[in-house]
Amino acid sequence: MSPKLSVWRPEHERVKHLPKHLRPRWRYLAVGIESWPEADIDRRAFQRAIWFAAGNLLGDTGSAALDASLLRFRFADAEGDAVVRVRRGEVERLRAVLATIDEIDGQPVGIRVRGTSGTVRACEEKYIRGPPERSEERTVALADTERPAVVRDDRIDVEVSDGRVGATALDIRDN
Amino acid sequence: MYEGVHAHPDGRATAARLAKTAAAYGYGGVVIRNHGDAQTEYDPDRIGSHYGIDVVPGIEIRSNDPGQASGLVGNYRSKRTIVCVHGGPLNRFAVEQPTVDVLAHPMRDGDINHVLAKTATENGVHLEFNFARVLRAEGGKRVRAIQGLCKLRELTEKYDTPYVVSADARSHLQLRAPRELLAVGETIGFDREDIEAGLRAWGELAERNRRRRSESVVEPGVRVEPLDPREDED
Repeated sequence: MSPKLSVWRPEHERVKHLPKHLRPRWRYLAVGIESWPEADIDRRAFQRAIWFAAGNLLGDTGSAALDASLLRFRFADAEGDAVVRVRRGEVERLRAVLATIDEIDGQPVGIRVRGTSGTVRACEEKYIRGPPERSEERTVALADTERPAVVRDDRIDVEVSDGRVGATALDIRDN
Repeated sequence: MYEGVHAHPDGRATAARLAKTAAAYGYGGVVIRNHGDAQTEYDPDRIGSHYGIDVVPGIEIRSNDPGQASGLVGNYRSKRTIVCVHGGPLNRFAVEQPTVDVLAHPMRDGDINHVLAKTATENGVHLEFNFARVLRAEGGKRVRAIQGLCKLRELTEKYDTPYVVSADARSHLQLRAPRELLAVGETIGFDREDIEAGLRAWGELAERNRRRRSESVVEPGVRVEPLDPREDED
């Protein structure tokens, strides 16, 4: 199926773009994602999470009205960001939907809308940061016990007996 | 706006991490309201000045016995800025205590009716609109949580009962920015202003209680006025 070989179609069946004033108007939301160091979240998983969250909170009608789609996605090293497109006028509903995403594939996530823009480009330039700071694995003393941890700038995710605890440099002795 | 949070070991982040995240999300303060049996050690002033946020020492008293709860409230009233009571079987007890600031999640394992709402108003006990299950549960649990909040809203409106709003975060990952909570509130039928007022109420409680504990208060109802007399809502 080569796109170059176009089949002749009668006038009324040809693909035509909507006139500009009838095209949907969009807003673009920059979304920050945070999780634990071992989290593995890919684009599909995040897209699915948005769909399910919208379906659960707003139902089919509400989801259809949002018409949300994931345009950009990056997640690595416990942090990520995304650009989500939504119908203008539905921004607050999408914001609510995003706020109810508390885990993705069983991995707890923090979600925050960093800002909204009228174009993808403005959205990326204003709110999407460069590559995140490198994390390093280190042993830290939390509550007088040495424990393995993943350290990223001021944030320290400490491994404890039953999982992880989020801490900062202020919690660690000798800081 | 302020949030009421649970820090490690009551949750999965330290008070510092919660404060750092809340400050980045635009909150003016966080109330550390660990349950009495899962308290945490932290330095509110150090954390607060480091991250530029008001860190308010609080507690959420949990007990099955009103007698014991009463002792705990009396004990912690002078030690913590904000005293909450874990809602459920203690709902009636809590709304009858003027020394209680907040009745947490009254609809989760209990109920509020017109009598309790009226009593809460008389005693200035704030009822909490707890968004934990709206944000983090699904299906029937979430449906019941939303129904509970709607019922609570009708009663607090009718009896002009003071209230707070919270996402009840137990880690930095469970925190949501104020704008997000306003959007969620709006989606389930609240006015944005009401959610905002509920998030501000934590801060107002903290300020009021600090003022009461300060030396300018001679005895309840009597205090030395500063130079510019402000309207006193107490």
